[in-house]
Amino acid sequence: MEKSDLTVTATLASLVLDEAETQKLGDEVSRMLSYFEKMSEIDVDGLEPTTHALQKENRLRPDRGLSNEAQPDELLECAPDLEDRFILIPNVL
Amino acid sequence: MYQSFIGLEIHIHLAAETKAFCGCKANFGDEENTNVCPVCMGFPGVLPTLNEKAIQMSYVVARALNCKLSPNTKFERKNYFYPDMPKNYQISQFAEPVGRDGYIDIEIGDSIKRVRIHDVHFEEDAGKMIHAGDMSLLDYNRAGYPLLEIVTEPDLVIGEDAEAFLKSFQRLVRYLGVCDGNMEEGSMRCDANVSINPVGVGLGEKVEIKNLNSSRFVRKALNYEIERQSGLMDNGTKIIQETRLWNENRDQTEGMRKKEDANDYRYFPEPDLPPFRPSDEFMKEVEEGICELPLVRKQRLMTSYGLGSDQAEYIHDEKFMADFFEKAVFLGADAVQVYSWLSSDVKKLLNRNSQSLEDSNLSAERLARLISMIEDGQISGKIAKRVLDHIFDEDKDPDVICDEQGLVQISDPAAIAKFVDEVMAANEAVVEAVRGGDQRQMGFLVGQIMKVSGGKAAPAVVQSVLKEKVLG
Ligand SMILES: [Zn+2]
Repeated sequence: MEKSDLTVTATLASLVLDEAETQKLGDEVSRMLSYFEKMSEIDVDGLEPTTHALQKENRLRPDRGLSNEAQPDELLECAPDLEDRFILIPNVL
Repeated sequence: MYQSFIGLEIHIHLAAETKAFCGCKANFGDEENTNVCPVCMGFPGVLPTLNEKAIQMSYVVARALNCKLSPNTKFERKNYFYPDMPKNYQISQFAEPVGRDGYIDIEIGDSIKRVRIHDVHFEEDAGKMIHAGDMSLLDYNRAGYPLLEIVTEPDLVIGEDAEAFLKSFQRLVRYLGVCDGNMEEGSMRCDANVSINPVGVGLGEKVEIKNLNSSRFVRKALNYEIERQSGLMDNGTKIIQETRLWNENRDQTEGMRKKEDANDYRYFPEPDLPPFRPSDEFMKEVEEGICELPLVRKQRLMTSYGLGSDQAEYIHDEKFMADFFEKAVFLGADAVQVYSWLSSDVKKLLNRNSQSLEDSNLSAERLARLISMIEDGQISGKIAKRVLDHIFDEDKDPDVICDEQGLVQISDPAAIAKFVDEVMAANEAVVEAVRGGDQRQMGFLVGQIMKVSGGKAAPAVVQSVLKEKVLG
């Protein structure tokens, strides 16, 4: 794998990598990619892609309100900072 | 001379009770972060589940837009880092959307134009952010709202086309009952793209415009942008592909700060949601969800009821009014009469009460009855307006109101003769003048008689009795 590909991928994933990590991950990712290359050698023409191995039926939910075990207030408590009921974060505009 | 190409991306909030993938209420304007749960807050280990009604509405819209409907629609994750989405991705559709390759016919001025639809795809809305100084405030009530995006091909030419398209589209989603179409409140949103080129060359560099929260802004922004790009092309300046924002205070589009990297959303199949394969029964319900669409309805109102284009335009604007109109006509009222009442007196009262026809006390039955009472000579047009007032205020049938208020028209010649005698006795000089040949004074006498009768005398009978008595 090209080093620049890895840097772009890391940036897209919001990961900051130092030189050593880049080296280490570069090797690992290259090995992973080679497995994919092996797989793409197989002729899959005319086969339907399997995105879900176990799920064959539709899984739908009726359009009705559900009460959750976790209350909104409890969820808000997980936020680092609040202002009234807003979650407060540094400006990211 | 340049040619311009406009395409639109329209987002609509689907009118479901709950969010796209969890059971939180999809309510506008509730207290911040009250309609949230672990699923739409992006907590680890949760499992999204597709809202049946929302996906059904999506198929209804795609069907109404003549799309090829997917027998196996799939969901993808669109990855991006921005705190309006707590999961760091939005569940959307990419490879296999609900519908694609459709079209819609819309009326622009006097002609009908076919606009091709690229695709219709289902996704979830992001949360709301408020930027305040060096902090940002997050409200996730809207995160996970069921959203449908409709992407057109660049078949529109000028801002006016886009505005007309949006109005037609808004009417369509209201007819289908899938969205209230309210752009001010953000339940319908529109981004536009436009490119220009010398005639015959084809599409140019596409510029996207965002922040268009009314159909008027869409028109103004697109026309501004066509003008701007034409100026650049005149000067030989290269037009760059970019996203610009409409500034409604300055009436201009402005370039956004350039992002370093081009967007790469790294779409991949959503592992938590299986594809959706509509069953025959589901598709039957989709078919049942389709009604006669606005343009077809307008054309039918013209051919079946003899309404003019402007009249049909007014009646078909809201499905409820079109249904109301047809029902009143079915009950025997004259079509043009029904139109006249709806577009004048009824409209005035609705405005006065800030009501919609649907919420008012007027029904098709009551309007039809009111019109037939005029035609039968039971009441005059003038009294009918008073009766209409009472219907609005008191929620009663016109016959009941006439009985209670004694508003029945007097058409018995003997009864009217009494009013005529009274008025003639009080205006002897005028009567003499008329007998002397001054016909213009007849109108004065008729007016006096109407006044004496409290507006209840039938004008035609008054005319004939008066003529008889004065001229013999
Ligand atoms: Zn939720």
